[in-house]
Amino acid sequence: MAEGLLSLAPGRRKSNLLAMIVLAVTVALIIVFSIAVDGFATVGNLRVILSNSASLVILSCGMGVVIISRGLDLSLIAQMVAGATVFSIMINAGAPGSLALLVAVATMVLVGMMNAWLIAYVEIPALLATLASAMFITGLFRFFILRGEYLLLLPKTNPAVIFLSSELLPGVSAPVALMFVALASAWFLLRRMSAGRTIYAMGDNFQAARLSGLPVRTTTIIVYVYAALAALMAGLVMSSASGTVDFRTVTNGTLLFEVILVVVLGGIPLRGGRGGIWNILVGVALIVVLRNGMTLLNVTAQTQDVVKGVVLIVAIVTDNYLNPRDTETDTVGDL
Amino acid sequence: MMYKMGRKLHRAALGAVVGAFAALTMGSPANAEFDLAGKRVIFVPISMGISLTEGWARRMGEHADIHGYSFEIRDAAFNMAAMTELLAKAITEKPDVLVVHNPTVQLLARQIRQAEADGIKVLQINLQSNQPSTAFVGANWERIGTGIAEDIVKECGAGSGKSGKVSIIPGQLTAADSVIMNEAAFKVFEQHPEIEVVSNQASDWEPEKARQITATVLQQHPDLCAIFGHWDVHTMGAGNAVKDAGKADDVLVYSTGGGDDVACKAIEDGIQDRIWSYDADGQGRDAGTMIDLMLQGAAAADGSMLIAESPLKIIKAGPDYDAGMCWSM
Repeated sequence: MAEGLLSLAPGRRKSNLLAMIVLAVTVALIIVFSIAVDGFATVGNLRVILSNSASLVILSCGMGVVIISRGLDLSLIAQMVAGATVFSIMINAGAPGSLALLVAVATMVLVGMMNAWLIAYVEIPALLATLASAMFITGLFRFFILRGEYLLLLPKTNPAVIFLSSELLPGVSAPVALMFVALASAWFLLRRMSAGRTIYAMGDNFQAARLSGLPVRTTTIIVYVYAALAALMAGLVMSSASGTVDFRTVTNGTLLFEVILVVVLGGIPLRGGRGGIWNILVGVALIVVLRNGMTLLNVTAQTQDVVKGVVLIVAIVTDNYLNPRDTETDTVGDL
Repeated sequence: MMYKMGRKLHRAALGAVVGAFAALTMGSPANAEFDLAGKRVIFVPISMGISLTEGWARRMGEHADIHGYSFEIRDAAFNMAAMTELLAKAITEKPDVLVVHNPTVQLLARQIRQAEADGIKVLQINLQSNQPSTAFVGANWERIGTGIAEDIVKECGAGSGKSGKVSIIPGQLTAADSVIMNEAAFKVFEQHPEIEVVSNQASDWEPEKARQITATVLQQHPDLCAIFGHWDVHTMGAGNAVKDAGKADDVLVYSTGGGDDVACKAIEDGIQDRIWSYDADGQGRDAGTMIDLMLQGAAAADGSMLIAESPLKIIKAGPDYDAGMCWSM
C-alpha cells in the first residue's frame, strides 16, 4: 500500500500543479474582468455566476467520479435530458412533484445500472458503451416517449417547478443548494465510503484492484448510478430554470465538452486514480468566470468556444513546460 | 339531297349542342383537375419534432394526398452533416420538387444549385439560402426585423422614459433569419441613437443558453428595456430569466415564431410580451399550393425566384390579446 502511495506521488504533484496553474489563471481573469468589465465584481453577478454554474458543477461531480474510476460517461447529457423528460411528463400529466421525482430517480438508477452492466459485466470499454447508450437513450426518449418532439415545456406555475427555481434562503437558490448537495455527496462517496477507496484503486491500476479482490464490478455500478443521479439533478435544475426540456442540448454537444473540460482542467487525469472535489471546483471556476466575463463583454457564443479551446491548450502546454514528461511519469491517457 | 343536308346540319347542330353541354357540364371541372399522380416531392427539414416543420409537413402532405403525388420527409434531426448527406441522396433520386429548410445562408447553396441544374425544382421554405432557386415560401425577415425594431424604438426610445437598452438574442449568427433581422433592426436603431444594443449573442437556438445570457445581461444592465429573441422557442429561456429576476413588468420580451398554441401560452404566462407570428400553418398551405403549381410547370417568366411572402400576425399581451390567433396541431 505504501509503495502504491509512493508511486502516485509524481502524478499527484502533476495534477495539483495543473490545478494551481488553472487557479492562478482564474484569479488573474477575475482581477482583469473586475477592472475592465462593468458589472462583473458585484454581489448580483456572483449570484448569477453561482446560479448559471449549478448544472455544470453537478454534472462535473458525476463525470469526475466516473473519470477517477478510470471510466468515461459520454451519455451524461443524454441522461440529464432523459431524467428531466420523465419528471416533466409526470408533472405535465398532473402527478405530484414527489411522485414525479421518485419515478425519475428509479428510471435513472436503471439507466445507470445499464451503463455499469455493459462496462463491468459485458466488458465493453466505457467510451463505447456510454456512446452507444447515449444514442439509445436519445432515440428511445425522443421517438418513443416524446413521439418525435424535441422540446417539452415545463409549467412555471407547478409547485415542484417553482420550488426548483426558488430561493430557499436569502441568496441561496434551490439550484445552488442542489449544487452543494452534489459536491457534498461526491466528497462523501470518494472520501468517506469504502467504495471511494475502490474507485481510486480502480483508477490507479484497474487490474491490480481486481486481482487484489476489490469489488470492482459492484463499485462500477455505484459509480455509474451516482453519475446518472447527478445527471438527473442537473436536468431538474436546468429545465426548471429555463422552463423547457430540450433534446438539442444532447445533439449540440457543447455541454458534454464543457463537462470534460472542467474535469480535465481541474487536474483529474483521464486515466483516473487522482483528483477530487477541489479539482472540480477549480475547473468549474475557470470556465464559469470566462463564460460570465465574455458574456458581459458581449463576446459571441462561437468566439467563447474558441477561447475555451485555446485556454485548454494553453493549460496543457504550460503544465508540460513546468512539469516535463519522463518515462516515470508518462502514462497512456494522462495529460 | 336537301333532306340529307338537313340531316347533316341537324346532326351537326345536335353535336354542337351536345358538345357545348358537355363543355359546360364536364369541360370546366376537367380543366380544374390536373394530373399530378406519380410525381414525387422530398422535404428535407432541419428537424422534425418542432411545431414549425410538423405544421408545414401536415399541410404539404394534405396537398399530396389530394392530388396523388408522393411526399417524403428526410429528417436531419438538427444534424447539419446528416442534412447535407440527406440532401445529396435526395438529389440523386431525382424527385420533381425538393423542399429545403436552410439552416444557414451558405450550407446548402451548392447543393441547391446542383439540384436546379439537374432539373429538380427547389422550393426553399422560410429560411433562404444565398443561392436562389425556383421558389421561396416564407416570412419576410426584413419586414419582421424592421417591425420589431420600430416597436422597440416606440417603447424604449426618445420620450418613453426608458433606458433605451436592448438585448438581442439571435439563433445563430449565420442563419438566414438572424442575419436579415439583425441587419434590418440595426438599420432602424442607427436612426435612433438613444437605443443602445448592450448585448447581441447567439443562443444556438437553445432556451438554456438564452436564459444564462439574459440572467447575466440583466445583472449588468438592470434597467434593460427590451429583449429581441429571434425565435420564440429559445426566447422562452430569456423570458423565464426576466420573470425569475422579477422584471416581467419592466422588460419587454419580443420574439418571432410560427404562432402555434405554445406562443399564446407564453403570452398568457407572461414569459413573452410580443410575438411576430408568420403562421406556420398558413405557410404549410402556401407551400402545398406552391408545390402544386411547380409540379404543373410554374416558374417566374424572367427566371427569378417565385416568392410567396407569409402574412404576419402580431400576438401581444394586453386587452387586444386573442388566443384565436394561434393554431394547434
